[in-house]
Amino acid sequence: MELNCLGMRCPIPIIQLAQAIKTNPEVILLSDDPATLPDLSAWSRMTKHQYSIVGRNMYLVKRL
Amino acid sequence: MSTAGTVLGVGSITSQFQRETPLHPAARAFLEDAFDRGWADPTKIHGQSRQAAILLNGAKEIFAAHLGIRSDQVEFLADPTSGFHLGTSGLLQESSQFFYSAVDRSEIFAIAESRGGAKIKVDLDGSIDYPEGRPIDLLAWQTINGETGIIATHPQNFAGRLFVDATASGADISLPENWNTALWNSRAWEGPAGIGIFAVADKAIWRNPLPHIDQRISSSEFSIPLVMASAIALEAHTRDYAEKRGALSILNNRIRNFLNAEIGDVDIAGSSTTTVPYLLSFSLLYIDAERLVNQLDRLNISVDSGSACSSANMEPSHVLAAMGLLTHGNVRMRLHNQTSTENVESFLSKLKTIVEDLRK
Repeated sequence: MELNCLGMRCPIPIIQLAQAIKTNPEVILLSDDPATLPDLSAWSRMTKHQYSIVGRNMYLVKRL
Repeated sequence: MSTAGTVLGVGSITSQFQRETPLHPAARAFLEDAFDRGWADPTKIHGQSRQAAILLNGAKEIFAAHLGIRSDQVEFLADPTSGFHLGTSGLLQESSQFFYSAVDRSEIFAIAESRGGAKIKVDLDGSIDYPEGRPIDLLAWQTINGETGIIATHPQNFAGRLFVDATASGADISLPENWNTALWNSRAWEGPAGIGIFAVADKAIWRNPLPHIDQRISSSEFSIPLVMASAIALEAHTRDYAEKRGALSILNNRIRNFLNAEIGDVDIAGSSTTTVPYLLSFSLLYIDAERLVNQLDRLNISVDSGSACSSANMEPSHVLAAMGLLTHGNVRMRLHNQTSTENVESFLSKLKTIVEDLRK
């Protein structure tokens, strides 16, 4: 599933991601907010997910 | 006295958790007298000037005793942030490597930007792996981090020169033995803004990076009455803090436990054993910090935030990002010496209600 959060400010991308990952084992997140990368890292640690950078402003997020 | 009462009465400091504090009442009460007695130029020889010089020397003795330096090492800066340049550039030589940490202040980043430097990574718990360095190298070392309150370990094994940034801790953390330059900000002890204290341990290895024609470190004019008020504030604040330290630790722990047990999905910086009791930073998952800060403000509770949405440049706090802590939903608090259990309990119950509402 692809989740387009381009142009959205924190914490909206992480809120939408948390919703999307409930029903999808993998989510491609598109986000250009400067807080997204540090927050993806913290969110993954706190909620047991993993992520990788797959392109410019593009992240692959999975459940652990 | 009604003037002082009015100013201090605005939103009563005890319900406030923001970084700044009003001038300590003891210093405030002394100010009028200070302006009466300390207006003359202390370098001249007439009576009023001699009196100003005596007062200034008295203030130096107070700072020296509390900050752990000699009174002849005390230098006053009218612009405290200029001390970052004095303290680092004055110790750097062309072949020096400049080490600094990813959680240092932006003034340090600016110096590294202009002359080059090696940024040291910081772990999630705030610990920093200091390099050994060569004798000619320089390390910028923070006593505590002003955002998270995390106490830095002493860089005992560093072989080079040491600039100590004590602007956030004040007199609370003692200087490491191997310090070369050090900087304090009067605001750390409820003193007036616009007074920095700068010290050089040994002038033989320090070169003044500012244009100068004599031995003076800074030629900028500072206010003697404000220096005196700062000395009074330092004495009073230190006395208050010695009395309140235990109580503040209990309140800090109470907030940490409540956040974990009653609110949840929270990323708290450091632990109660790695931070000073008067500072606390935590981030709440799925919370917009700007809305949270505004809603608390409407209930007369002020806190600070390092989140991007509440900053002027829309960038998240580099300290939170460097440590790997959540940057959204961030709240930074200072527990003041006057903060009571009732203030904290009232804050916690309101915070819980607002967070539950915002997370719906």
